[in-house]
Amino acid sequence: MNRKMKTYNFNFVGNFKVFGGISLVAFLIACAIIVKNGFNYGIDFAGGTEMQVKFSQDTVSAGDLRKLVDEMGFKNSQVQRFGEDTEFLIRFETPEGASESETNAKLASTISIMTEALNTRFQAAGPEVRRVDSVGPQVGSQLKRNSILAGIYSLLIILIYIAMRFDFKYAPGAVICLFHDSVLVLGILSLFGHEVNIQVLAAVLTLIGYSLNDTIVTFDRIRENELGMRDSNTEKIINTSINEVLVRSVVTVLTTALAVGSLYVFAGGAIKDFAFTMLWGLLFGVYSSIYVASPLILLTEKMRFKKA
Amino acid sequence: MSSGLNARIATIVLVFLVCLLIISPNFISFSKDHFLSKSKLRYGLDIQGGIHLVMGVDVNEALRQNLLRTGEGLVRHAKTEALSATDIKLKTGSTNEMVLTYTKAEEKGAITDFITKYYSNLFITDSEGQTISLQSSDVYTEQTKKEVVDQAIETIRNRIDEFGVSEPSITAQGSDRILMQLPGIDDAARAKELINKTARLEFMLVDNTEVNLPALIQDAEKAGNYKLGQNGLKYSEYIRRLNADLASKLPPKTHILFGKQENVESLEMGRIPYLLRSDTGLGGDSLRNARISTGEFNEPEVNLTFNPEGAQKFADLTGNNIGRQLAIVLDDMVYSAPSLQGRIPDGNARITLGGGRDYNQMFEEAKTISMALRAGALPARLEQLEERTVGPSLGADSISAGLKASYIGAALIFIFMIFYYRTFGLLACFGLCVNILMLLTGLTMIDATLTLPGIAGIALTLGIAVDANVIINERIKEELARGANFQAAVREGYEKAFSAIMDSNITTIATCLVLIYFGSGPVRGFGVTLTVGLITSMFTAIFFTRTIVDTLLYKFKVNKISI
Repeated sequence: MNRKMKTYNFNFVGNFKVFGGISLVAFLIACAIIVKNGFNYGIDFAGGTEMQVKFSQDTVSAGDLRKLVDEMGFKNSQVQRFGEDTEFLIRFETPEGASESETNAKLASTISIMTEALNTRFQAAGPEVRRVDSVGPQVGSQLKRNSILAGIYSLLIILIYIAMRFDFKYAPGAVICLFHDSVLVLGILSLFGHEVNIQVLAAVLTLIGYSLNDTIVTFDRIRENELGMRDSNTEKIINTSINEVLVRSVVTVLTTALAVGSLYVFAGGAIKDFAFTMLWGLLFGVYSSIYVASPLILLTEKMRFKKA
Repeated sequence: MSSGLNARIATIVLVFLVCLLIISPNFISFSKDHFLSKSKLRYGLDIQGGIHLVMGVDVNEALRQNLLRTGEGLVRHAKTEALSATDIKLKTGSTNEMVLTYTKAEEKGAITDFITKYYSNLFITDSEGQTISLQSSDVYTEQTKKEVVDQAIETIRNRIDEFGVSEPSITAQGSDRILMQLPGIDDAARAKELINKTARLEFMLVDNTEVNLPALIQDAEKAGNYKLGQNGLKYSEYIRRLNADLASKLPPKTHILFGKQENVESLEMGRIPYLLRSDTGLGGDSLRNARISTGEFNEPEVNLTFNPEGAQKFADLTGNNIGRQLAIVLDDMVYSAPSLQGRIPDGNARITLGGGRDYNQMFEEAKTISMALRAGALPARLEQLEERTVGPSLGADSISAGLKASYIGAALIFIFMIFYYRTFGLLACFGLCVNILMLLTGLTMIDATLTLPGIAGIALTLGIAVDANVIINERIKEELARGANFQAAVREGYEKAFSAIMDSNITTIATCLVLIYFGSGPVRGFGVTLTVGLITSMFTAIFFTRTIVDTLLYKFKVNKISI
């Protein structure tokens, strides 16, 4: 019970040039990676067909499956084996028709063609098609548009809310921070060639809300300390506030990381992609709320002062 | 003394009991009629397996067809008014513009007046030489689009019912798409085949021979040991079997069909049997249109228009059978069986609905019938845009993995919290447990569907919900370090932490709402669980844990609690 409360006194604001610089460089690198590598879009966005097949006998190899897909005339096939299991993920493009409706018609028949081919060719191995996802080009492009809109609206709502609840000077810091976090996460996805699917999208959008948590808690403390520490300058107030909530920021990220981490390790499947994205986001989120968001308040205030 | 402690304890107990009551049907099955709460949490397709199909409706083609019909009607109508209109054509590539041609140049004014007088949905955009360009109003176009999609949904629903899916969900997505979710089946090819088949509309006379139908049916069912819905027995097979069994006991040229009940999703459909004559020879191909109209007392009714050949047959049929009931049968199901009041000569028939009910009910029924009549065939071509099938074995695997991950995540959080915050950590864990209970209650109440991303949302909620406790506990520690006594530190800790918790949760919820609004299927499920979880977490973290702490401090006179 008599554990002494540890207090920290790091000079976050003073070192803003260093951390801001690091962030800026990281941000630019992430942008460069995204521009260069692009994203490995899953079929949710890119369209195409994905089949998950499990065999009761271990006699089929990924190469056999790839050969079959090629023979059936489907392009860009990818076959992936689930660990040591006899389970495979087959992905291929939907053949493009002359018109949109022709493509759609082909999409509709693709699955039955492939299922039948699998069942005849590998009958002895006992195939079971466990999951089929097949997405047409229109759905994918609409999803892309909606995702971008969702991102923009989230940022906008947050900007307005913070400007209302706190003060306008807080808002740019928070939003820049979120933008920074999202881009870094996307950079990581692009770097590793990790598939960007609907789950990953959900994770990125959730991060916009979640990584803000830390920022808001720090802002809340700054707001409180602005009243209690009238004699101190803004820089001191911000520094004190960040240090005061530092333990909480770390503890919270830890508990969330425990939840997300166990999802990553144990849940598998679609959830794994979600958890992967979330974990990186948590890391960037806590970094940016400590090192970037709050010091930015100072910057906004200075700019406003100059204008006045 | 902390204020209102007893009231707070009572609130908690009450909330707890209500939660248990609401979620209990998820675990124990009660007799359906005698229990307050009947909602059950449903599992999504990714967990129980099933088919997810997105179909695009070719609304533009339907719009063109519809406009052309209106136009042709206009030309015919104009001829009866002795105007010189000869022909009407759609503008190429357009869905809302057409051009009318007429022969007598001097009739320009008269035709213009005629159109503005009778066709308020059409605007004259241009008139050049002996042609007039017409455009349908945007409101009308939108309304037609919606009708086409609604009609397609109604048709698909009827056909899917035949498939024996327990809880199909067929909804419009945007303005020209239909989303179908068919849990529990994985034969996508057959489902699609079924959706694309054409439906059959028939008019049949109700036979007035005295036969005790319910008794006959019961005997036949008992003798053959079958029942509708039993062992997946589908309606069409049931009907075939029943009529074969009873063929010798029914009057010649008659058979039994059942009336369709309001609840289209129920397999119990139609316990009202009809004995119908199968020799009227009047079918859906004779029908031109069916619309809702209003009768003389402003009550809703359904107006039918037959084509000339159909009109003749219909006139004979109605004239010869005054006083008898004429059943409107769609895909072997009786939609309504109005009594014939007189000969109907002009190919226009009205279906009046029984009175004595409120307007909305009657209107809904009129809508269902007119839609069902028009739904004889799909109103527009359907195009498959997306298909997802999950086999039941995969669903079972994923839910067990998802639950395992959630349990382990929760356990790790519990261990960490108790290790780090001692008794206060333990209280936070209690809070989390109550939070999960409330979250499940909330999801049950709003009839949410639990999907795999939803389970991820619950796991994430745990991580985020505990944040409120972390903020509070850190604050209490700070107050203690400043030298406050324990009671004061707790009070200050909770009060000062409040605004931070509120603001951070509200912004997270705001982004979740964006997810729900823009997201499709899986993303939405995640957004819903996280939103509900965050709302309940505010109750448990702030109100619930504080009440327990206060109870310990003031009721049990505990001086200090380890933190």
